[in-house]
Amino acid sequence: MRDRQPLVFWTGFAIIVALLIASPLVLPPFWARFVTEILIWGLLAMSSDILIGYTGMVSFGHSAFFGLGMYGAAFVLLETKPPSLWAALAAGLLAAAAAAAFVAYFSTRLREIYFAITTLIFSQIFYIVIFTWTELTGGENGLTFSRPALAIPGLFSLRFTPMVLHWFVLAIVVLSYLLLRRITQSPFGMVLQSIRENEARTRAIGYPIERYKMVAVMLSGLFAGLAGVLYALQNQFAAPNFVFFVLSGEVVIYNVIGGIGTLVGPILGAAFFLLLREGLSRFFTEYYLIPVGLMFIAMVIFMPQGLLGFARRWLNR
Amino acid sequence: MTVEPLAASTSETAKLRETGGPLLQTENLTIRFGGLTALDNVNVAVARGQVRAIIGPNGAGKSTFFNCVTGVLRPSSGRVLLNGNDIAGLPPDRISQKGIARSYQITNLLPNATVLENVRIAAQSRRHRWSMVTHYRSYRDIVDKAEAALSAVGLLGKAYELAANLSHGEQRTLEIAVAMATDPQLLCLDEPTAGMSAAETRETVALVRRIAEHLTILIVEHDMEVVMGLANRITVLHYGRVLAEGTPSEIQQNPRVLEVYLKT
Ligand SMILES: Nc1ncnc2c1ncn2[C@@H]1O[C@H](COP(=O)(O)OP(=O)(O)O)[C@@H](O)[C@H]1O
Ligand SMILES: [Mg+2]
Repeated sequence: MRDRQPLVFWTGFAIIVALLIASPLVLPPFWARFVTEILIWGLLAMSSDILIGYTGMVSFGHSAFFGLGMYGAAFVLLETKPPSLWAALAAGLLAAAAAAAFVAYFSTRLREIYFAITTLIFSQIFYIVIFTWTELTGGENGLTFSRPALAIPGLFSLRFTPMVLHWFVLAIVVLSYLLLRRITQSPFGMVLQSIRENEARTRAIGYPIERYKMVAVMLSGLFAGLAGVLYALQNQFAAPNFVFFVLSGEVVIYNVIGGIGTLVGPILGAAFFLLLREGLSRFFTEYYLIPVGLMFIAMVIFMPQGLLGFARRWLNR
Repeated sequence: MTVEPLAASTSETAKLRETGGPLLQTENLTIRFGGLTALDNVNVAVARGQVRAIIGPNGAGKSTFFNCVTGVLRPSSGRVLLNGNDIAGLPPDRISQKGIARSYQITNLLPNATVLENVRIAAQSRRHRWSMVTHYRSYRDIVDKAEAALSAVGLLGKAYELAANLSHGEQRTLEIAVAMATDPQLLCLDEPTAGMSAAETRETVALVRRIAEHLTILIVEHDMEVVMGLANRITVLHYGRVLAEGTPSEIQQNPRVLEVYLKT
Protein backbone atom coordinates (compact mmCIF):
# COMPACT_ATOMS: atom_id res chain seq x y z
CA MET A 1 0.00 0.00 0.00
CA ARG A 2 2.57 2.51 1.20
CA ASP A 3 4.88 1.75 -1.71
CA ARG A 4 2.23 1.80 -4.41
CA GLN A 5 0.88 5.25 -3.66
CA PRO A 6 3.85 7.31 -4.94
CA LEU A 7 3.83 5.25 -8.14
CA VAL A 8 0.14 5.98 -8.71
CA PHE A 9 0.76 9.65 -7.93
CA TRP A 10 3.69 10.12 -10.30
CA THR A 11 1.93 8.18 -13.08
CA GLY A 12 -1.11 10.44 -12.76
CA PHE A 13 1.17 13.47 -12.63
CA ALA A 14 3.00 12.43 -15.82
CA ILE A 15 -0.26 11.77 -17.69
CA ILE A 16 -1.72 15.15 -16.73
CA VAL A 17 1.45 17.03 -17.63
CA ALA A 18 1.61 15.20 -20.97
CA LEU A 19 -2.01 16.15 -21.73
CA LEU A 20 -1.29 19.76 -20.84
CA ILE A 21 1.78 19.79 -23.09
CA ALA A 22 -0.32 18.45 -25.94
CA SER A 23 -3.32 20.71 -25.38
CA PRO A 24 -2.29 23.64 -27.63
CA LEU A 25 -1.47 21.18 -30.41
CA VAL A 26 -4.92 19.60 -30.43
CA LEU A 27 -7.35 22.20 -29.08
CA PRO A 28 -8.80 25.05 -31.15
CA PRO A 29 -7.11 28.39 -30.33
CA PHE A 30 -9.93 29.66 -28.06
CA TRP A 31 -9.80 26.61 -25.80
CA ALA A 32 -6.02 26.36 -25.94
CA ARG A 33 -5.87 29.90 -24.59
CA PHE A 34 -8.51 29.00 -22.02
CA VAL A 35 -6.32 26.18 -20.69
CA THR A 36 -3.35 28.55 -20.38
CA GLU A 37 -5.52 30.91 -18.41
CA ILE A 38 -6.75 28.12 -16.11
CA LEU A 39 -3.13 27.27 -15.34
CA ILE A 40 -2.46 30.88 -14.31
CA TRP A 41 -5.55 31.11 -12.09
CA GLY A 42 -4.68 27.65 -10.78
CA LEU A 43 -1.26 28.93 -9.70
CA LEU A 44 -2.92 31.83 -7.91
CA ALA A 45 -5.37 29.48 -6.19
CA MET A 46 -2.56 27.13 -5.22
CA SER A 47 -0.59 30.00 -3.69
CA SER A 48 -3.51 30.89 -1.46
CA ASP A 49 -3.93 27.24 -0.42
CA ILE A 50 -0.63 27.58 1.49
CA LEU A 51 -2.53 29.90 3.82
CA ILE A 52 -6.10 28.60 3.70
CA GLY A 53 -5.43 24.89 3.54
CA TYR A 54 -2.08 24.45 5.26
CA THR A 55 -1.89 27.22 7.85
CA GLY A 56 -5.60 27.76 8.44
CA MET A 57 -5.58 31.48 7.56
CA VAL A 58 -8.14 32.75 5.05
CA SER A 59 -6.62 35.56 3.02
CA PHE A 60 -8.72 38.07 1.14
CA GLY A 61 -5.60 39.88 0.04
CA HIS A 62 -4.47 37.73 -2.84
CA SER A 63 -5.77 40.14 -5.44
CA ALA A 64 -3.20 42.65 -4.15
CA PHE A 65 -0.28 40.24 -4.46
CA PHE A 66 -1.46 39.13 -7.89
CA GLY A 67 -2.00 42.74 -8.95
CA LEU A 68 1.41 43.88 -7.75
CA GLY A 69 3.04 41.04 -9.66
CA MET A 70 1.10 42.21 -12.69
CA TYR A 71 1.94 45.92 -12.35
CA GLY A 72 5.54 45.19 -11.36
CA ALA A 73 6.00 43.29 -14.61
CA ALA A 74 4.10 45.95 -16.55
CA PHE A 75 6.36 48.82 -15.42
CA VAL A 76 9.50 46.97 -16.44
CA LEU A 77 8.07 45.91 -19.80
CA LEU A 78 7.16 49.53 -20.53
CA GLU A 79 10.49 50.96 -19.35
CA THR A 80 13.03 48.51 -20.76
CA LYS A 81 13.98 48.51 -24.46
CA PRO A 82 13.79 45.84 -25.70
CA PRO A 83 11.40 44.62 -22.99
CA SER A 84 13.14 42.06 -20.77
CA LEU A 85 11.21 39.01 -19.59
CA TRP A 86 13.52 38.23 -16.71
CA ALA A 87 13.60 41.78 -15.42
CA ALA A 88 9.79 41.84 -15.58
CA LEU A 89 9.63 38.57 -13.67
CA ALA A 90 12.04 39.86 -11.04
CA ALA A 91 10.18 43.16 -10.66
CA GLY A 92 6.78 41.44 -10.37
CA LEU A 93 8.04 39.04 -7.73
CA LEU A 94 9.76 41.83 -5.83
CA ALA A 95 6.65 44.02 -5.83
CA ALA A 96 4.44 41.14 -4.69
CA ALA A 97 6.91 40.11 -2.00
CA ALA A 98 7.15 43.67 -0.69
CA ALA A 99 3.36 43.95 -0.55
CA ALA A 100 3.13 40.57 1.15
CA ALA A 101 5.77 41.55 3.71
CA PHE A 102 3.85 44.72 4.46
CA VAL A 103 0.51 42.94 4.83
CA ALA A 104 2.09 40.07 6.78
CA TYR A 105 3.69 42.41 9.27
CA PHE A 106 0.37 43.96 10.24
CA SER A 107 -2.00 41.03 9.87
CA THR A 108 -0.32 37.93 11.28
CA ARG A 109 -0.79 38.98 14.87
CA LEU A 110 -4.51 38.68 14.25
CA ARG A 111 -6.46 35.50 13.94
CA GLU A 112 -9.34 34.08 11.99
CA ILE A 113 -11.86 36.68 10.83
CA TYR A 114 -9.63 39.55 11.98
CA PHE A 115 -6.81 38.30 9.82
CA ALA A 116 -9.16 37.91 6.85
CA ILE A 117 -10.54 41.42 7.26
CA THR A 118 -7.10 42.96 7.64
CA THR A 119 -5.85 41.35 4.44
CA LEU A 120 -8.99 42.59 2.71
CA ILE A 121 -8.47 46.14 3.91
CA PHE A 122 -4.83 46.19 2.86
CA SER A 123 -5.64 44.83 -0.57
CA GLN A 124 -8.26 47.56 -0.97
CA ILE A 125 -5.67 50.15 -0.01
CA PHE A 126 -3.43 48.86 -2.79
CA TYR A 127 -6.43 48.96 -5.12
CA ILE A 128 -7.20 52.58 -4.30
CA VAL A 129 -3.57 53.62 -4.71
CA ILE A 130 -3.34 51.91 -8.09
CA PHE A 131 -6.71 53.25 -9.21
CA THR A 132 -5.97 56.86 -8.31
CA TRP A 133 -2.26 57.19 -9.10
CA THR A 134 -3.03 57.70 -12.77
CA GLU A 135 0.37 59.05 -13.93
CA LEU A 136 2.10 55.89 -12.80
CA THR A 137 -0.52 53.19 -13.28
CA GLY A 138 -2.81 54.55 -15.96
CA GLY A 139 -5.61 54.62 -13.39
CA GLU A 140 -8.83 53.04 -14.55
CA ASN A 141 -7.43 52.29 -18.02
CA GLY A 142 -4.47 50.35 -16.72
CA LEU A 143 -1.30 49.79 -18.71
CA THR A 144 -0.79 48.08 -22.03
CA PHE A 145 2.54 46.90 -23.33
CA SER A 146 4.07 44.44 -25.74
CA ARG A 147 5.31 40.97 -24.93
CA PRO A 148 9.02 40.44 -24.47
CA ALA A 149 10.83 37.60 -26.19
CA LEU A 150 11.59 34.36 -24.36
CA ALA A 151 15.31 34.81 -24.52
CA ILE A 152 18.53 34.04 -22.77
CA PRO A 153 21.01 36.61 -24.16
CA GLY A 154 23.70 34.90 -26.23
CA LEU A 155 21.89 31.56 -26.17
CA PHE A 156 18.51 31.80 -27.82
CA SER A 157 15.53 34.02 -28.43
CA LEU A 158 11.99 32.80 -29.08
CA ARG A 159 8.94 34.81 -29.94
CA PHE A 160 6.08 34.32 -27.45
CA THR A 161 3.53 32.71 -29.74
CA PRO A 162 0.42 31.46 -27.89
CA MET A 163 1.93 27.97 -27.97
CA VAL A 164 5.32 28.99 -26.59
CA LEU A 165 3.53 31.05 -23.96
CA HIS A 166 1.41 28.05 -22.97
CA TRP A 167 4.47 25.86 -22.50
CA PHE A 168 6.28 28.59 -20.62
CA VAL A 169 3.29 29.02 -18.27
CA LEU A 170 2.96 25.25 -17.93
CA ALA A 171 6.64 24.89 -17.02
CA ILE A 172 6.38 27.59 -14.36
CA VAL A 173 3.15 26.22 -12.89
CA VAL A 174 4.50 22.65 -12.77
CA LEU A 175 7.75 23.78 -11.15
CA SER A 176 5.80 25.93 -8.67
CA TYR A 177 3.59 22.98 -7.84
CA LEU A 178 6.58 20.69 -7.21
CA LEU A 179 8.27 23.33 -5.08
CA LEU A 180 5.13 24.12 -3.05
CA ARG A 181 4.44 20.41 -2.60
CA ARG A 182 7.92 19.93 -1.23
CA ILE A 183 7.58 22.94 1.06
CA THR A 184 4.34 21.55 2.49
CA GLN A 185 6.17 18.29 3.26
CA SER A 186 9.20 19.99 4.80
CA PRO A 187 9.73 20.60 8.52
CA PHE A 188 8.54 24.19 7.91
CA GLY A 189 5.39 22.91 6.19
CA MET A 190 4.69 20.55 9.06
CA VAL A 191 4.85 23.50 11.45
CA LEU A 192 2.26 25.36 9.35
CA GLN A 193 -0.07 22.37 9.54
CA SER A 194 0.52 22.10 13.25
CA ILE A 195 -0.47 25.77 13.60
CA ARG A 196 -3.64 25.02 11.66
CA GLU A 197 -4.46 22.10 13.96
CA ASN A 198 -3.63 23.70 17.28
CA GLU A 199 -1.96 27.09 17.45
CA ALA A 200 -1.53 27.32 21.22
CA ARG A 201 -0.02 23.84 21.35
CA THR A 202 2.40 24.64 18.53
CA ARG A 203 3.57 27.74 20.38
CA ALA A 204 3.94 25.79 23.60
CA ILE A 205 6.39 23.31 22.04
CA GLY A 206 8.65 26.17 21.03
CA TYR A 207 7.59 27.61 17.66
CA PRO A 208 7.37 31.41 17.22
CA ILE A 209 3.95 31.36 15.55
CA GLU A 210 3.95 34.93 14.23
CA ARG A 211 7.23 34.45 12.41
CA TYR A 212 6.00 31.27 10.76
CA LYS A 213 2.80 32.97 9.69
CA MET A 214 4.72 35.91 8.27
CA VAL A 215 6.92 33.66 6.20
CA ALA A 216 3.83 31.74 5.05
CA VAL A 217 2.09 34.94 3.93
CA MET A 218 5.22 36.11 2.09
CA LEU A 219 5.68 32.76 0.38
CA SER A 220 2.06 32.71 -0.60
CA GLY A 221 2.22 36.30 -1.85
CA LEU A 222 5.32 35.53 -3.89
CA PHE A 223 3.59 32.75 -5.84
CA ALA A 224 0.47 34.90 -6.24
CA GLY A 225 2.74 37.59 -7.71
CA LEU A 226 4.21 35.01 -10.07
CA ALA A 227 0.70 34.27 -11.32
CA GLY A 228 0.21 38.02 -11.81
CA VAL A 229 3.37 38.25 -13.95
CA LEU A 230 2.18 35.34 -16.10
CA TYR A 231 -1.23 36.94 -16.54
CA ALA A 232 0.40 40.19 -17.62
CA LEU A 233 2.47 38.29 -20.18
CA GLN A 234 -0.56 36.49 -21.54
CA ASN A 235 -2.85 39.50 -21.83
CA GLN A 236 -0.36 42.32 -22.36
CA PHE A 237 -2.16 44.59 -19.98
CA ALA A 238 -2.41 45.39 -16.27
CA ALA A 239 -5.75 46.66 -14.98
CA PRO A 240 -6.96 47.78 -11.55
CA ASN A 241 -9.95 45.43 -11.44
CA PHE A 242 -7.51 42.55 -10.90
CA VAL A 243 -6.44 44.20 -7.64
CA PHE A 244 -10.05 44.56 -6.48
CA PHE A 245 -11.07 42.28 -3.61
CA VAL A 246 -13.66 40.38 -5.69
CA LEU A 247 -10.78 38.49 -7.26
CA SER A 248 -9.57 37.47 -3.78
CA GLY A 249 -13.04 36.12 -3.10
CA GLU A 250 -12.98 34.08 -6.29
CA VAL A 251 -9.64 32.62 -5.27
CA VAL A 252 -11.13 31.50 -1.96
CA ILE A 253 -14.01 29.92 -3.92
CA TYR A 254 -11.56 28.00 -6.16
CA ASN A 255 -9.99 26.62 -3.00
CA VAL A 256 -13.24 25.59 -1.39
CA ILE A 257 -14.64 24.04 -4.57
CA GLY A 258 -11.46 22.13 -5.34
CA GLY A 259 -10.53 21.03 -1.85
CA ILE A 260 -8.23 22.95 0.48
CA GLY A 261 -4.92 21.64 1.72
CA THR A 262 -4.21 19.65 -1.43
CA LEU A 263 -2.54 22.14 -3.84
CA VAL A 264 -4.02 20.26 -6.81
CA GLY A 265 -7.57 20.79 -5.58
CA PRO A 266 -7.50 24.59 -5.97
CA ILE A 267 -6.26 24.23 -9.59
CA LEU A 268 -9.14 21.85 -10.22
CA GLY A 269 -11.48 24.30 -8.52
CA ALA A 270 -10.26 27.13 -10.74
CA ALA A 271 -10.78 24.99 -13.86
CA PHE A 272 -14.24 23.96 -12.75
CA PHE A 273 -15.31 27.50 -11.84
CA LEU A 274 -14.00 29.05 -15.06
CA LEU A 275 -15.53 26.36 -17.26
CA LEU A 276 -18.82 26.68 -15.45
CA ARG A 277 -18.79 30.44 -15.84
CA GLU A 278 -17.88 30.15 -19.51
CA GLY A 279 -20.65 27.62 -20.13
CA LEU A 280 -23.34 29.32 -18.08
CA SER A 281 -22.66 32.85 -19.30
CA ARG A 282 -23.58 31.64 -22.79
CA PHE A 283 -27.06 30.69 -21.60
CA PHE A 284 -27.70 33.10 -18.77
CA THR A 285 -25.76 36.12 -20.06
CA GLU A 286 -25.09 38.51 -17.18
CA TYR A 287 -27.21 36.49 -14.74
CA TYR A 288 -24.77 33.58 -14.82
CA LEU A 289 -23.71 34.34 -11.24
CA ILE A 290 -27.07 33.08 -9.96
CA PRO A 291 -26.63 29.46 -11.12
CA VAL A 292 -22.92 29.64 -10.21
CA GLY A 293 -23.88 30.73 -6.69
CA LEU A 294 -26.49 27.99 -6.32
CA MET A 295 -24.02 25.41 -7.54
CA PHE A 296 -21.40 26.69 -5.11
CA ILE A 297 -23.80 26.39 -2.18
CA ALA A 298 -24.78 22.87 -3.24
CA MET A 299 -21.13 21.85 -3.46
CA VAL A 300 -20.25 23.25 -0.07
CA ILE A 301 -23.13 21.26 1.42
CA PHE A 302 -22.69 17.99 -0.45
CA MET A 303 -18.92 17.95 -1.04
CA PRO A 304 -17.47 19.71 1.97
CA GLN A 305 -14.01 18.40 1.11
CA GLY A 306 -14.18 19.76 -2.41
CA LEU A 307 -13.99 18.08 -5.79
CA LEU A 308 -10.68 16.41 -5.03
CA GLY A 309 -11.78 15.02 -1.67
CA PHE A 310 -14.97 13.76 -3.27
CA ALA A 311 -13.09 12.11 -6.14
CA ARG A 312 -10.62 10.53 -3.76
CA ARG A 313 -13.31 9.00 -1.62
CA TRP A 314 -15.14 7.79 -4.69
CA LEU A 315 -11.95 6.17 -6.07
CA ASN A 316 -11.12 4.52 -2.75
CA ARG A 317 -14.49 2.79 -2.56
CA MET B 1 37.50 40.50 24.73
CA THR B 2 34.27 38.67 24.05
CA VAL B 3 35.47 35.57 25.84
CA GLU B 4 35.22 37.15 29.27
CA PRO B 5 31.45 37.51 29.77
CA LEU B 6 31.00 34.04 28.30
CA ALA B 7 33.46 32.58 30.78
CA ALA B 8 31.81 34.49 33.60
CA SER B 9 28.36 33.22 32.72
CA THR B 10 29.45 29.59 32.47
CA SER B 11 31.21 29.80 35.81
CA GLU B 12 28.02 31.33 37.15
CA THR B 13 25.90 28.40 35.99
CA ALA B 14 28.59 26.05 37.29
CA LYS B 15 28.33 27.78 40.65
CA LEU B 16 24.57 27.43 40.55
CA ARG B 17 24.97 23.72 40.00
CA GLU B 18 27.53 23.34 42.74
CA THR B 19 25.49 25.18 45.30
CA GLY B 20 22.39 23.44 44.04
CA GLY B 21 20.72 26.81 43.43
CA PRO B 22 17.09 26.35 42.45
CA LEU B 23 16.30 25.48 38.85
CA LEU B 24 13.02 27.36 39.10
CA GLN B 25 12.20 30.10 41.54
CA THR B 26 9.26 32.47 41.74
CA GLU B 27 9.55 35.72 43.67
CA ASN B 28 6.31 37.37 44.81
CA LEU B 29 4.52 36.00 41.76
CA THR B 30 1.16 37.74 41.52
CA ILE B 31 -1.55 37.71 38.90
CA ARG B 32 -4.93 39.42 39.00
CA PHE B 33 -7.94 38.79 36.76
CA GLY B 34 -10.01 41.91 37.24
CA GLY B 35 -10.85 41.91 40.93
CA LEU B 36 -9.69 38.35 41.57
CA THR B 37 -6.14 37.83 42.75
CA ALA B 38 -5.51 34.32 41.44
CA LEU B 39 -1.90 34.24 42.63
CA ASP B 40 -0.85 36.39 45.58
CA ASN B 41 2.89 36.82 46.21
CA VAL B 42 3.72 33.19 45.58
CA ASN B 43 7.31 32.22 46.45
CA VAL B 44 8.36 28.78 45.36
CA ALA B 45 11.87 27.45 44.82
CA VAL B 46 12.31 24.13 43.06
CA ALA B 47 15.73 22.54 43.41
CA ARG B 48 17.34 20.65 40.57
CA GLY B 49 16.30 17.02 40.52
CA GLN B 50 13.33 17.59 42.80
CA VAL B 51 9.79 16.36 42.27
CA ARG B 52 7.66 19.19 43.56
CA ALA B 53 3.94 18.75 43.89
CA ILE B 54 1.52 21.67 43.98
CA ILE B 55 -1.73 20.79 45.67
CA GLY B 56 -4.77 22.70 46.81
CA PRO B 57 -8.52 22.77 46.40
CA ASN B 58 -10.15 23.50 43.06
CA GLY B 59 -9.66 27.11 42.00
CA ALA B 60 -6.64 27.55 44.28
CA GLY B 61 -4.52 28.79 41.35
CA LYS B 62 -2.50 25.69 40.48
CA SER B 63 -3.11 25.79 36.71
CA THR B 64 -2.68 29.57 36.79
CA PHE B 65 0.72 29.04 38.42
CA PHE B 66 1.70 26.73 35.53
CA ASN B 67 0.38 29.26 33.03
CA CYS B 68 2.57 31.99 34.52
CA VAL B 69 5.64 29.77 34.57
CA THR B 70 5.17 28.64 30.95
CA GLY B 71 4.32 32.07 29.54
CA VAL B 72 0.65 31.45 28.71
CA LEU B 73 -0.22 34.22 31.16
CA ARG B 74 1.80 37.32 31.94
CA PRO B 75 2.16 37.84 35.68
CA SER B 76 0.88 41.15 37.07
CA SER B 77 4.02 41.42 39.17
CA GLY B 78 6.85 39.34 40.56
CA ARG B 79 9.58 37.33 38.91
CA VAL B 80 9.97 33.84 37.53
CA LEU B 81 13.61 32.77 37.53
CA LEU B 82 14.93 29.83 35.55
CA ASN B 83 18.57 29.16 36.41
CA GLY B 84 18.58 32.64 37.93
CA ASN B 85 17.32 34.40 34.76
CA ASP B 86 13.99 36.19 34.78
CA ILE B 87 11.64 34.66 32.24
CA ALA B 88 8.39 36.26 33.43
CA GLY B 89 6.41 37.70 30.53
CA LEU B 90 8.31 35.85 27.78
CA PRO B 91 6.03 34.14 25.25
CA PRO B 92 5.49 30.36 25.56
CA ASP B 93 7.72 29.52 22.60
CA ARG B 94 10.70 31.32 24.13
CA ILE B 95 10.13 29.66 27.47
CA SER B 96 9.87 26.28 25.79
CA GLN B 97 13.19 26.93 24.07
CA LYS B 98 14.71 27.79 27.45
CA GLY B 99 13.81 24.34 28.72
CA ILE B 100 10.41 24.28 30.39
CA ALA B 101 7.87 21.81 29.01
CA ARG B 102 4.35 21.11 30.16
CA SER B 103 1.41 18.81 29.79
CA TYR B 104 -2.07 20.23 30.02
CA GLN B 105 -4.87 19.53 32.46
CA ILE B 106 -7.22 19.27 29.48
CA THR B 107 -5.70 17.18 26.72
CA ASN B 108 -4.20 19.47 24.10
CA LEU B 109 -2.83 17.57 21.10
CA LEU B 110 -2.97 17.61 17.31
CA PRO B 111 -6.02 15.33 17.05
CA ASN B 112 -5.85 14.76 13.27
CA ALA B 113 -2.15 13.94 13.25
CA THR B 114 -0.64 10.57 14.04
CA VAL B 115 0.81 9.82 17.44
CA LEU B 116 4.29 9.83 15.92
CA GLU B 117 3.72 13.19 14.21
CA ASN B 118 2.55 14.75 17.48
CA VAL B 119 5.88 13.85 19.05
CA ARG B 120 8.00 14.39 15.93
CA ILE B 121 6.85 18.00 15.53
CA ALA B 122 7.84 18.64 19.15
CA ALA B 123 11.29 17.11 18.63
CA GLN B 124 11.68 19.13 15.44
CA SER B 125 11.28 22.39 17.37
CA ARG B 126 14.92 22.09 18.49
CA ARG B 127 16.51 21.28 15.11
CA HIS B 128 15.79 21.83 11.40
CA ARG B 129 12.66 23.78 12.20
CA TRP B 130 13.01 26.27 9.34
CA SER B 131 14.08 23.77 6.71
CA MET B 132 11.85 24.16 3.64
CA VAL B 133 13.11 22.01 0.81
CA THR B 134 13.91 18.67 2.40
CA HIS B 135 11.19 16.13 3.12
CA TYR B 136 10.49 15.99 6.84
CA ARG B 137 10.87 12.22 6.94
CA SER B 138 14.45 12.39 5.73
CA TYR B 139 15.56 13.94 9.04
CA ARG B 140 16.17 10.59 10.69
CA ASP B 141 17.58 12.19 13.84
CA ILE B 142 14.19 13.77 14.56
CA VAL B 143 12.18 10.65 13.78
CA ASP B 144 14.53 8.58 15.96
CA LYS B 145 14.13 11.00 18.84
CA ALA B 146 10.35 10.94 18.50
CA GLU B 147 10.32 7.16 18.44
CA ALA B 148 12.55 7.05 21.49
CA ALA B 149 10.12 9.33 23.36
CA LEU B 150 7.19 7.12 22.36
CA SER B 151 9.07 4.01 23.35
CA ALA B 152 9.87 5.55 26.74
CA VAL B 153 6.18 6.07 27.49
CA GLY B 154 5.10 2.77 25.93
CA LEU B 155 3.20 4.18 22.95
CA LEU B 156 5.51 3.10 20.13
CA GLY B 157 3.03 0.41 19.09
CA LYS B 158 0.45 3.10 18.36
CA ALA B 159 2.81 5.40 16.43
CA TYR B 160 0.72 5.43 13.26
CA GLU B 161 -2.70 5.85 14.84
CA LEU B 162 -4.42 9.22 14.90
CA ALA B 163 -4.09 10.95 18.26
CA ALA B 164 -7.88 11.39 18.28
CA ASN B 165 -8.33 7.61 18.21
CA LEU B 166 -6.32 6.95 21.37
CA SER B 167 -8.05 6.24 24.65
CA HIS B 168 -8.22 9.06 27.17
CA GLY B 169 -5.41 7.55 29.24
CA GLU B 170 -3.20 7.08 26.19
CA GLN B 171 -3.76 10.69 25.16
CA ARG B 172 -2.64 11.84 28.61
CA THR B 173 0.47 9.71 28.22
CA LEU B 174 1.09 11.10 24.74
CA GLU B 175 1.02 14.59 26.30
CA ILE B 176 3.97 13.57 28.43
CA ALA B 177 5.84 12.15 25.42
CA VAL B 178 5.30 15.42 23.50
CA ALA B 179 6.68 17.41 26.42
CA MET B 180 9.68 15.07 26.77
CA ALA B 181 10.51 15.34 23.07
CA THR B 182 11.45 19.01 23.54
CA ASP B 183 14.39 18.01 25.80
CA PRO B 184 13.29 20.07 28.81
CA GLN B 185 15.15 20.78 32.04
CA LEU B 186 11.88 21.18 33.89
CA LEU B 187 8.73 19.19 33.20
CA CYS B 188 5.41 20.60 34.41
CA LEU B 189 2.58 18.08 34.60
CA ASP B 190 -0.93 19.41 35.18
CA GLU B 191 -3.02 16.60 36.66
CA PRO B 192 -1.45 13.89 34.50
CA THR B 193 -3.67 11.14 35.91
CA ALA B 194 -6.97 13.04 35.63
CA GLY B 195 -9.68 10.70 34.38
CA MET B 196 -7.39 7.67 34.32
CA SER B 197 -8.30 4.18 35.51
CA ALA B 198 -6.51 2.79 38.57
CA ALA B 199 -4.24 0.67 36.35
CA GLU B 200 -3.39 3.60 34.08
CA THR B 201 -2.69 5.77 37.11
CA ARG B 202 -0.23 3.18 38.44
CA GLU B 203 1.54 3.09 35.07
CA THR B 204 1.72 6.88 34.93
CA VAL B 205 3.18 7.06 38.44
CA ALA B 206 5.84 4.54 37.40
CA LEU B 207 6.52 6.58 34.25
CA VAL B 208 6.88 9.87 36.14
CA ARG B 209 9.19 8.16 38.61
CA ARG B 210 11.40 6.96 35.74
CA ILE B 211 11.46 10.45 34.22
CA ALA B 212 12.27 11.97 37.63
CA GLU B 213 15.59 10.13 37.65
CA HIS B 214 17.02 12.65 35.22
CA LEU B 215 14.60 15.60 35.22
CA THR B 216 13.18 18.15 37.61
CA ILE B 217 9.41 17.83 37.84
CA LEU B 218 6.63 20.14 38.91
CA ILE B 219 3.34 18.29 39.25
CA VAL B 220 -0.21 19.33 40.03
CA GLU B 221 -2.24 16.40 41.22
CA HIS B 222 -5.50 15.72 43.03
CA ASP B 223 -4.90 12.10 43.89
CA MET B 224 -3.17 12.26 47.30
CA GLU B 225 -1.82 8.76 46.99
CA VAL B 226 -0.07 9.76 43.76
CA VAL B 227 1.27 12.96 45.33
CA MET B 228 2.62 11.24 48.42
CA GLY B 229 4.18 8.51 46.31
CA LEU B 230 5.98 10.86 43.92
CA ALA B 231 6.84 14.17 45.54
CA ASN B 232 9.93 15.05 47.57
CA ARG B 233 8.37 18.34 48.51
CA ILE B 234 4.87 19.74 48.44
CA THR B 235 3.51 23.27 48.14
CA VAL B 236 -0.08 23.84 49.19
CA LEU B 237 -1.92 26.67 47.48
CA HIS B 238 -5.12 28.10 48.87
CA TYR B 239 -6.93 31.08 47.30
CA GLY B 240 -3.77 31.96 45.40
CA ARG B 241 -1.52 31.97 48.47
CA VAL B 242 1.06 29.48 49.71
CA LEU B 243 -0.61 27.90 52.71
CA ALA B 244 2.19 25.51 53.54
CA GLU B 245 5.32 23.93 52.16
CA GLY B 246 7.21 20.87 53.28
CA THR B 247 7.95 17.21 52.89
CA PRO B 248 5.02 14.84 52.33
CA SER B 249 4.94 13.80 55.99
CA GLU B 250 5.12 17.40 57.21
CA ILE B 251 2.23 18.33 54.94
CA GLN B 252 0.16 15.35 56.05
CA GLN B 253 0.44 16.51 59.65
CA ASN B 254 0.02 20.23 59.06
CA PRO B 255 -3.16 21.32 60.89
CA ARG B 256 -3.91 24.23 58.51
CA VAL B 257 -3.69 21.89 55.52
CA LEU B 258 -5.94 19.35 57.20
CA GLU B 259 -8.46 22.05 57.94
CA VAL B 260 -8.60 23.19 54.30
CA TYR B 261 -8.91 19.65 53.02
CA LEU B 262 -11.55 18.64 55.58
CA LYS B 263 -13.68 21.68 54.76
CA THR B 264 -13.86 20.85 51.03
N1 LIG C 1 -7.79 33.35 32.22
C1 LIG C 1 -8.51 33.57 33.34
N2 LIG C 1 -9.34 34.64 33.43
C2 LIG C 1 -10.06 34.87 34.54
N3 LIG C 1 -10.03 34.09 35.62
C3 LIG C 1 -9.24 33.00 35.60
C4 LIG C 1 -8.44 32.68 34.46
N4 LIG C 1 -7.75 31.53 34.72
C5 LIG C 1 -8.10 31.16 35.96
N5 LIG C 1 -8.98 32.03 36.51
C6 LIG C 1 -9.53 31.98 37.88
O1 LIG C 1 -8.43 31.86 38.75
C7 LIG C 1 -8.70 30.97 39.80
C8 LIG C 1 -7.70 29.84 39.80
O2 LIG C 1 -7.94 28.97 38.72
P1 LIG C 1 -7.02 27.72 38.39
O3 LIG C 1 -5.63 28.13 38.39
O4 LIG C 1 -7.54 27.08 37.14
O5 LIG C 1 -7.32 26.74 39.62
P2 LIG C 1 -6.82 25.25 39.87
O6 LIG C 1 -6.05 25.33 41.13
O7 LIG C 1 -8.07 24.45 40.06
O8 LIG C 1 -6.03 24.79 38.72
C9 LIG C 1 -10.14 30.48 39.58
O9 LIG C 1 -10.99 31.27 40.38
C10 LIG C 1 -10.36 30.73 38.13
O10 LIG C 1 -11.72 30.96 37.88
MG1 LIG D 1 -6.30 23.25 37.32
